[in-house]
Amino acid sequence: MHTLPQQLANGLFIGSMYGLIAIGYTMVYGIVQLINFAHGEIYMTGAFGALAVYTNLPSGTSIWLALPLMLIGGGIVSVLIAVGAERFAYRPLRNAPRLAPLITAIGLSLALQQAVFLWYPGGDNGKRFPQLPGGPYHIGSVDIQSGDIFLIVAAVVCMVALATFVRTSRTGRAMQATAQDPDTAQLMGIDTNRIIVIAFAIGGFFAAVAGVASGLKYGQVKFDIGFQAGLKAFTAAVLGGIGNIYGAMLGGLVLGIAESCASAYISNIPGMEQLGGGGWANVWAFVLLIVVLLVRPQGLLGERVADRA
Amino acid sequence: MSALLEVDNLRVAYGKIEAVKGISFAVEAGQVVTLIGTNGAGKTTTLRTLSGLLKPVGGKVVFDGKPLTRVPPHKIVALGLAHSPEGRHIFPRLTIEQNLQLGAYLRKDSAGITQDMQRAYDLFPILGERRKQAAGTLSGGEQQMLAMGRALMSQPKLLMLDEPSMGLSPIMMQKIMATIVELRAQGTTILLVEQNAQAALSLADQAHVMEVGTIKLSGTGHALLHDDEVRKTYLGED
Amino acid sequence: MQHRSLLILTSVLATGALTLTACGSRSNDNKSNGGGGSSSSSSSNTTVVIGVDAPLTGANSATGLGIQYGVQIAVDDANAKNLVPGVTFKVKALDDKAQPATGQQNATALVADNSVIAAIGPLNSGVAQSMQQVFASANMVEISPSNTNPTLTQGKDWATGNKVRAFKTYFRTATTDALQGGFAADYAYNTLKKKDAFVVDDKQTYGAGLAGIFKGKFSGLGGKIAGTDHVNTGDTDYSTLVTKIKNSHADMLYYGGQYDESELITKQLKAAGVNIPLMGGDGMFSDTYIKTAGKAAEGDLATSVGVPVTTLPAAKDFISTYKSKGYPGDYGTYGGYSYDAATAVIKGVKAIMDANSNKLPAMTDARSQLVDAVQKSDFDGIAGHVSFDQYGDTTNKQLTVYQVKSGAWAPVKSGTYNG
Repeated sequence: MHTLPQQLANGLFIGSMYGLIAIGYTMVYGIVQLINFAHGEIYMTGAFGALAVYTNLPSGTSIWLALPLMLIGGGIVSVLIAVGAERFAYRPLRNAPRLAPLITAIGLSLALQQAVFLWYPGGDNGKRFPQLPGGPYHIGSVDIQSGDIFLIVAAVVCMVALATFVRTSRTGRAMQATAQDPDTAQLMGIDTNRIIVIAFAIGGFFAAVAGVASGLKYGQVKFDIGFQAGLKAFTAAVLGGIGNIYGAMLGGLVLGIAESCASAYISNIPGMEQLGGGGWANVWAFVLLIVVLLVRPQGLLGERVADRA
Repeated sequence: MSALLEVDNLRVAYGKIEAVKGISFAVEAGQVVTLIGTNGAGKTTTLRTLSGLLKPVGGKVVFDGKPLTRVPPHKIVALGLAHSPEGRHIFPRLTIEQNLQLGAYLRKDSAGITQDMQRAYDLFPILGERRKQAAGTLSGGEQQMLAMGRALMSQPKLLMLDEPSMGLSPIMMQKIMATIVELRAQGTTILLVEQNAQAALSLADQAHVMEVGTIKLSGTGHALLHDDEVRKTYLGED
Repeated sequence: MQHRSLLILTSVLATGALTLTACGSRSNDNKSNGGGGSSSSSSSNTTVVIGVDAPLTGANSATGLGIQYGVQIAVDDANAKNLVPGVTFKVKALDDKAQPATGQQNATALVADNSVIAAIGPLNSGVAQSMQQVFASANMVEISPSNTNPTLTQGKDWATGNKVRAFKTYFRTATTDALQGGFAADYAYNTLKKKDAFVVDDKQTYGAGLAGIFKGKFSGLGGKIAGTDHVNTGDTDYSTLVTKIKNSHADMLYYGGQYDESELITKQLKAAGVNIPLMGGDGMFSDTYIKTAGKAAEGDLATSVGVPVTTLPAAKDFISTYKSKGYPGDYGTYGGYSYDAATAVIKGVKAIMDANSNKLPAMTDARSQLVDAVQKSDFDGIAGHVSFDQYGDTTNKQLTVYQVKSGAWAPVKSGTYNG
């Protein structure tokens, strides 16, 4: 068990990434009750946007100079796609039956994936992503890579910035109001369409940050990384209580750590040898989800629906 | 001289079912006008249409000289029309203070906002005592006070109140009605929708009785209060 | 209004998605002369189509394209040299995206096309399982240049010595994992002097089979298995696995699977400071592996079937043609075997026609006669001698261990292995 600190750290890193992506799901759901299943692809396109920026910088550009530009470039791509999806795909369907935007989201997801696959130069295979120099760093028995440090810092900065924005700014308050009661929010003079666009934009930007973090961490991006990451992040959002931004981050961390520990230790339990290991990580992630939802159907930090309205 | 609000032959439908079938009335500045009628008469639908939440299928609404029928709700608020909706609809997970601040969402004059907030606390002292408390923890009557206070925060030219007395204890109801009287005295123009016809008529300058989407009877509050038909149907007297 | 825009939007999106998906399949559908090869005509030119099924896009596509163009060059050579007088060969390549279900659809499509006489492919053993029955029912020859799972030819009980050939239409020019896994274990234990191996696989037919054989052979030689684990294809985060390996103090990692995962594993392993070599089978023997893993790949090993195509004198022309035509993909692994597989079909067609007074019988007859003709193949191909044993396996049991040296795969040991 002396690997436990390291496995917890592993879970924490991957969990922060799930959390960053999950915020996009949860914000949009909180405000328009829409599951934007194309969100995983927004994460993927953000990573590719950042890579495109890097590729077009003069060779030899320091990564520390490139990184902010990559975040901006990836952010612009993700935000434009997220906002475009809202404006042209989801808004016309706002009063349609729930199934219509869901199917649209799946279609959009396929279209984005195939678009990168076809049109990004060399996009049909893994693309190398620049990596941060230095590392691994040792804290006690735990090794930390440079990419992990970026990921943790990015997650903390994003989370604190978002919490501050929602709590203290006028728009943040309007956002809370729209989430709690969209009709009445309009009666306050809030342009709810604008708030919805902002929610998509913030979610898109966070997804791009996660995309860049993933590229730095794994040194590679691929057109199909959005599907699994999106699915895990959605699970994290539901686990934490969909609609709650803190829940999304918490859900991500819990999910990451649970996956990591399950694949590391379950096979050590006598009689469970066949059910452990990395191949079963996804299964245990969903077992955890089911157990949590049985005990707390609203998720870890979610309000009961009766509290709404 | 045109009225502050003019409603001309307004028609509103939910799908194929017409809920408001061509009603016309006006609200003069400084007046309290009330719409009374049974459940389903179309009173709430009328208010929701005036504030832009519903789109009419026909007719005209002119507020302060400007047509309203194609204007989105958040811009209607900016024109000076505030709506305190049926069922109060306060934001339960925000504090009382934040709810009031949202009422002043479109205003930029922070000094004026602070002043009006104080005015709301003077009007409803209980709100001032609990300003940092989540609005969802308030009692029904207190929530109603908050909803009214919130609507006033936009400095409306016309305040629309939908069923302010619904579900309240008699004491609380009296308190709300007293507040309306007080607001009228301060010169606030009010369009009041009420099921409690007795209370509404006794403080209204002008009143309209709605029945299945039409205005059946109009007159001063005093006249309708003493109308035999109204007494029989809405005031429960034989 | 609301409904109309909904409808328009949904259709536009759906069409968009479908169009893109369709483009994505990039199938090189060379229009075949409908029914041109179907009847025994005495006309001077009959067109015979050789089908290809491989992943041409997405995962494994670099090696998949190597198969497609390996066959293409064989066909071009045969046409240019007029190897079978009166017959023009063509290629019809279908993309299976490395997915069994797609492979099965492709097999059905090839069987239904009356101008197709035989098929080359697929790349993946898992895909092959779904296709074998389709070809067997149609009596159509299928030659895989790369399937290495022993069960495909020898049945599921092969390991216990109870070998049964289930499909007489299935052949392969690549040798099996039974040899590859053992060859790797032998090299790791005896040459590299590794004593503690951590064994990981991707739970797929190919990967799990390979890892299982390596494990058995390595411990049989006296090595220790420091630990085992499984991963999912498509995973990107292997930090948990890396921590386990680090903690196990293994001196090597054996991975049964494809380069898509192993390139990430080796990178994350080395980044964590675990400088032990990753060894795998031919599934990761691809330039993409080195390109993506970068420096982390240095020193890693892969076994592959046959001897390196670049060292074979007979393959010189093939390589120069491949390069001069600028074909995409990676011919290094299976290009030569694909060429030889196609040549076996072409020679088979010639044998049928020789026995039938230079005419090609009706396609159904031609297909079934080709099964016997291919079984009797006996010629020197560009990647070695081509002939098949009673199970449809190649008799060419040469294998090579490659190692990444200065950013390229370099052969370090070739040899024959018989278990």
